[in-house]
Amino acid sequence: MDFSWLQDPFYQEYLIEGFINTLWLLAVSAVGGLALAVAVAMARLRGPRPLAMLAKGFTVVMRGTPLLVQLFFFYYGVGRLLEGIPGVQDSVIWPLLRDPFFYGALTFTLSVGAYSGEVLRGALASVPAGEREAGRAFGLTPFQVFARLWLPRAVQLCLPTLTGEMILLLKSVPLVSTIALMDLLQAANIIRDETFLVYEPLMLIAGIYLAMTVVLTLVLRQVERHFPGMQPTRRRFPLRRVESAPCKH
Amino acid sequence: MTSSPQAPSSDASHRLAVEARHLGKRYGELEVLRDVSLDVPEGSVTSIIGASGSGKSTLLRCLNLLERPDQGDLAIADEAIRFDRNPQGDIVGLDRRQLQQLRAKVSMVFQQFNLWPHLTVLGNVTEAPMRVQGLSKRRAIERAEHYLERVGMADKRDGYPGFLSGGQQQRVAIARALAMEPRLLLFDEPTSALDPERVSEVLGVIQGLAAEGRTMVLVTHEMAFAREVSDQVVFLDRGFVGEAGTPRQVFEESQDPRCRRFVAPAA
Repeated sequence: MDFSWLQDPFYQEYLIEGFINTLWLLAVSAVGGLALAVAVAMARLRGPRPLAMLAKGFTVVMRGTPLLVQLFFFYYGVGRLLEGIPGVQDSVIWPLLRDPFFYGALTFTLSVGAYSGEVLRGALASVPAGEREAGRAFGLTPFQVFARLWLPRAVQLCLPTLTGEMILLLKSVPLVSTIALMDLLQAANIIRDETFLVYEPLMLIAGIYLAMTVVLTLVLRQVERHFPGMQPTRRRFPLRRVESAPCKH
Repeated sequence: MTSSPQAPSSDASHRLAVEARHLGKRYGELEVLRDVSLDVPEGSVTSIIGASGSGKSTLLRCLNLLERPDQGDLAIADEAIRFDRNPQGDIVGLDRRQLQQLRAKVSMVFQQFNLWPHLTVLGNVTEAPMRVQGLSKRRAIERAEHYLERVGMADKRDGYPGFLSGGQQQRVAIARALAMEPRLLLFDEPTSALDPERVSEVLGVIQGLAAEGRTMVLVTHEMAFAREVSDQVVFLDRGFVGEAGTPRQVFEESQDPRCRRFVAPAA
């Protein structure tokens, strides 16, 4: 085992940059993706027919094609296409459109939006209608019913699945090394190419990913544990079923 | 029963909390309500009884417009509901603003409680007063504590509904309804989802509210209770009012054969 390259300040810088980019990509795609998921789920449940169909089509395509292909499609396809439009290279958003980070974040956001949107759609549909009706009956506006009652309940129902999606998202991030974005894998690739060491850089970033996954899992578990009303429902249901069985004569 | 919407406010007993005229409601081919009229004087208790499918719940749900009637006129708490009508006079729409204001004055207790499981007991009771009536958090909590005390659930204020028995959940639901300080309380089969041994704790609370002189309309299958607690009983039969009057008139002196047969087990 040769880890002497860790002393090299250039390699240190690559690794730190890769680590920070990974965190940023995770954060941006998680926030953007979950927001998109709410929109996709509601479009499918409540949207006018064309919008519902559009959301459904989006979901089918994003879930039915490989993430790596999507990443290439946006970076090489859409990115190059935009490049060719006259004036784009002079516009204020050009630095953004030139940045592989933008395409990575875009792809992951859309992917999370599709997968989590489907999860959320199921959860929204399984919140008992009576809870919403009670909100309406007390004079809450449709938006209040959605934001205060319906959505929080749906999130409560599918939270373990959503947190699972976030962990999968974290481990999708190395794909961006293929579009020249400095993530951890890209840093490892550079180190391998320059030092001819294959094993050690990979071991290091695998260890970093493992540590990030563990930390993320612990954080998300706290979120699950402290989500309002979460624990009682979880504990109560299996108990109630067993308890009530002998009583029904 | 005479309608007197202009009665002076001091004479509360003659003011009407509900004035429904010729209500009709259909779902496609199925006519659930046909020409139902109903007066509920302020401070009185009205029970709606009848077989399954007779339109009881639909009528009750028309009173806070969870169901929109197709025909007729409706005034709740001295306010005529402004319906949008087509040229034939059928109701096709509602005034959203008025609807929200109306619902702030009319509270409902549901058969399945319909508490919000992600909010604490206190959160369930403070939600609507804060969001709909604009109460400050402190005042909403004071109010919630008062009414939770009233239904005997003050000690569970920080618990979640999932931890409570059906009877306890329904009592919280009643506190939630009371916290709006409504002009009219609607109960939709409040004990039908409860274990038999839990029914009495909820009926006890409702009886106490009746004794306070609250205006209430309840749909119930508890005949003995309806007879004891009501000022007025309405027997609905296939969407019509089959019989209406005092408990005595409905349970003992009805001339309507179907009503007589329906109440026979309780008479």
